[in-house]
Amino acid sequence: MVARVGRPLRFPFRSLGEPMPTVLRPVLPVEVGGLHRAPYAGLVDTGSLHNRFGAFVARAAGIELADAPVEVIALDGFRTQARRASVELSIGEATWTAPVWFCDPWPLGFHLLGLKGFFDHFAVTIRAARYEIELTQEPAAGLS
Amino acid sequence: MTRVTTRIARQPFVLDAAAVEAAATAVLPEPLVDHYVVVGGRRYPPKQVIALATGLDRADFTTHQARGVLRRLGFIAGRRGSDPPPTSATATAAGPHGGAEAEALRPFMGQWVAQKGIEVLVAADTPEEVLSWLERHDQYADIMFRVPREQWESEGWWPGWDVR
Repeated sequence: MVARVGRPLRFPFRSLGEPMPTVLRPVLPVEVGGLHRAPYAGLVDTGSLHNRFGAFVARAAGIELADAPVEVIALDGFRTQARRASVELSIGEATWTAPVWFCDPWPLGFHLLGLKGFFDHFAVTIRAARYEIELTQEPAAGLS
Repeated sequence: MTRVTTRIARQPFVLDAAAVEAAATAVLPEPLVDHYVVVGGRRYPPKQVIALATGLDRADFTTHQARGVLRRLGFIAGRRGSDPPPTSATATAAGPHGGAEAEALRPFMGQWVAQKGIEVLVAADTPEEVLSWLERHDQYADIMFRVPREQWESEGWWPGWDVR
């Protein structure tokens, strides 16, 4: 379901504090399950088929994963157990419902926004030369 | 070791920098209002640090007194938002904040941080601690993540993991 289709949203690239200090990344603030107090950093990842988040995000948002089947996946050089849930996500004014694979363990300090559940909900423009990402929510529900 | 003899709230104290740092870094910093001191790589409200180090009630002394004592002990004191903005040349070369963002994150390698703008509101060992702190102090962050300690942490490849 696409709850809202709005104006283009612009976000600056962010530093995640990498040892190489001049690296800025296309990272978006993603609210999960209506938790507004601290949006999680979601890396815009064209190479990821799905949204992948650490399982602790689900615990914090009260998302029940116990009945979800476990998939063992290899991801970005590590192996983890993933459980899928359909959750409400928000970025700025845009809110939509999408599948997220919550993974444990999750050694990364950020999460991944992938094709199904993110890119199929937005027109995404990355202007790396300007350190800027622009999102426009698509009117159709997308692939997921 | 720097040691200072002082009177705060009409009571005599002999404070040393190591003991003050140990008292402060045992807890997370509270939200900053205006002034801060850097203790153990984190920014604390001066009154919080002096209250922790002396056991005094914060109503019994001023921020000005607290700052003065902490500066004499060798801690760096500052004011929020007083850092100069990046020039257009540095902003072009190193991104929107001219590299200031990465600089602000440098003391927090390996920790989860909640940021408001480029300011780190809180840093802790787990995301749960960060969320709990935000709730407790009724604060809202722009974004939360863990600052990588090593390059592989930001690229996803951990040499200790076997993907076979």
